Amino acid sequence: MNTDSAFYSNDDWIPVSEKLISARRLVVVLVAIPVIGIVIALWLIPAVPSFIAWIVAALGLVSFIWLWWLIGRRVRSYAYCERESDLLVTSGILFRRLVIVPYGRMQLVDVTAGPIDRAFGVTTVQIHTAAATTDAAIPGLVPEVAAAVRDRLAKRGESRAAGL
Amino acid sequence: MITLGSGLTDSQGHRKLSPVSPLLSAVSVLPAIIGFALAIFLPSGFSFTQNFPALRPFVAGVLVIGLASLALSIFVALFQILGWRAFSFWIDQDGDLRVRSGVLIRNERRVQLSRIQAVDVVQPLVARIFSMAVLVVEVAGQKDSRVTFRFLSLTDATEIRQTLLNLAAGTQTESTDTDSPVLFRLPSRDLALGLLLRTSTVLLFTATIAILIFSYVIEGWAGITFALVTGGVPILIVIVEFITFYGFTVYDSPDGLRLRYGLLKTENRTVPEGRVQAIDFIEPWLWRSHSWTRVAINIAGVGSSSQGSSGKNKETLLLPVATRSVADSIVARVLPNIDIAEIDWKVAPNRASKRSPIQWRNLAMGWSANSFAARRGRITRHLMIIPHARTQSVHITQGPWERALNLASLHVDTTPGPVSVVALHLDVDEAREALYGQAGRVNQGGGI
Repeated sequence: MNTDSAFYSNDDWIPVSEKLISARRLVVVLVAIPVIGIVIALWLIPAVPSFIAWIVAALGLVSFIWLWWLIGRRVRSYAYCERESDLLVTSGILFRRLVIVPYGRMQLVDVTAGPIDRAFGVTTVQIHTAAATTDAAIPGLVPEVAAAVRDRLAKRGESRAAGL
Repeated sequence: MITLGSGLTDSQGHRKLSPVSPLLSAVSVLPAIIGFALAIFLPSGFSFTQNFPALRPFVAGVLVIGLASLALSIFVALFQILGWRAFSFWIDQDGDLRVRSGVLIRNERRVQLSRIQAVDVVQPLVARIFSMAVLVVEVAGQKDSRVTFRFLSLTDATEIRQTLLNLAAGTQTESTDTDSPVLFRLPSRDLALGLLLRTSTVLLFTATIAILIFSYVIEGWAGITFALVTGGVPILIVIVEFITFYGFTVYDSPDGLRLRYGLLKTENRTVPEGRVQAIDFIEPWLWRSHSWTRVAINIAGVGSSSQGSSGKNKETLLLPVATRSVADSIVARVLPNIDIAEIDWKVAPNRASKRSPIQWRNLAMGWSANSFAARRGRITRHLMIIPHARTQSVHITQGPWERALNLASLHVDTTPGPVSVVALHLDVDEAREALYGQAGRVNQGGGI
């Protein structure tokens, strides 16, 4: 059963930068390093039977490959769409989500980038409303695009501001 | 300059708290002080007796503990006096409330009166004995957004409260508690019965009885400690809630609804008109024969995560127990123009039973010209309503199990609070249509 249509529409959806895939994969690699260290340690300690090291290595490898693949799909699932009076953000593969934020209800727009994101040239634009459950974040935007989105959103928000 | 209340002022004409505040604060912490003194000085009290054998140990103990408590109380009171000297508040030229406080670190706070969400007069037990009160001003904001005036005389606190509310509303109407008409008074019997018939209470009592029978049949009385917990907790909760909400009364007032309740500590809360963001009618299973309902509300800036869970419950409850018709008439005053009768309900499809086998029959959503509503829950029923004008955003979600059944859930986002408006497990196309439709209605709904 294909339900993809529920989470997209005929509007112009803009995907996020593929650089985010590399940024997130690097995080997985950084996590993998201590795991490799643990496997080697298990291998060297004589008291531990060697099959335990094998099992840990196999589990680590399987989750590594799975995450590698998942990150690609998950990042490609992010998309946003600026309509005339509201912003649409969709995300997720297993748990799908589509949020619509009317420009008039935006309280502030955050642009953030961690050190890894900066190294890969991606930033996250996060839209806040008075509701904590809104959770409309667009990760993986190129800084220039992020700044342009932020400015556009801020302008549209101002002209439609409804307050609380 | 606008004067606040009729109490003490300083040389600059700024208001001060009541001069007995330091003393009251010290008395309020007396139990803690005595406990502390007991813990610290009990051993030395005994050695003291050895040096003066003429005194009986008990007398000596009381004497030492008493002296220590007195010394500590004086210390606390002295500290409080410093705090009292530094604390003052006034209305500035711009018509905003200013609060100056802090002994070591001076702090001057400016409270924009248009941002005030609620002004409450609270009377803790100790304060009530001296007919004193605590004034709490709630301001919109996430963290540390309340200003507490500890303590003022009751008449002074009510006067200041009225002045602040008038200034905030931009009106000059005079109103006192006496001439506010009573809209609803909750009989103690209904409150007690309602609390006892709550689903959680009944379930825990049933569990207790089952455990008692089971443990009696199997192994004598070994399960009794467990039964004490399952039986004791609901009793405690019921007693605490009964004391909290005893004499629950709703008054009409020009600035909204005024709620007053409490046996040991009288609480005065105002639910300002136009500040209610979303509403939830909660109907536990055993309340339905009485057609009773509990009403929880989201108020912007009140009951956000920075406050404790117990406070959260109390401050966001509009009615602990009331019949549905009473609840409707009171809700209509804080959230006018919601026509539940007008709503054309769209129910969840039958296949939702594979996702939520119990509650699926009650899952539905609907909307009218100015509000969105959703139903959920089977044992405890929820009816959630949010005006389009108060909607912050809308989203749909779909988990793997919902995806397999071609279902999706529609969430209408509101400010933080106990109410979360969600229409679970709808047909995907219907949910999607409602999502886009809802976004359109929110945009048309205009400002709040």
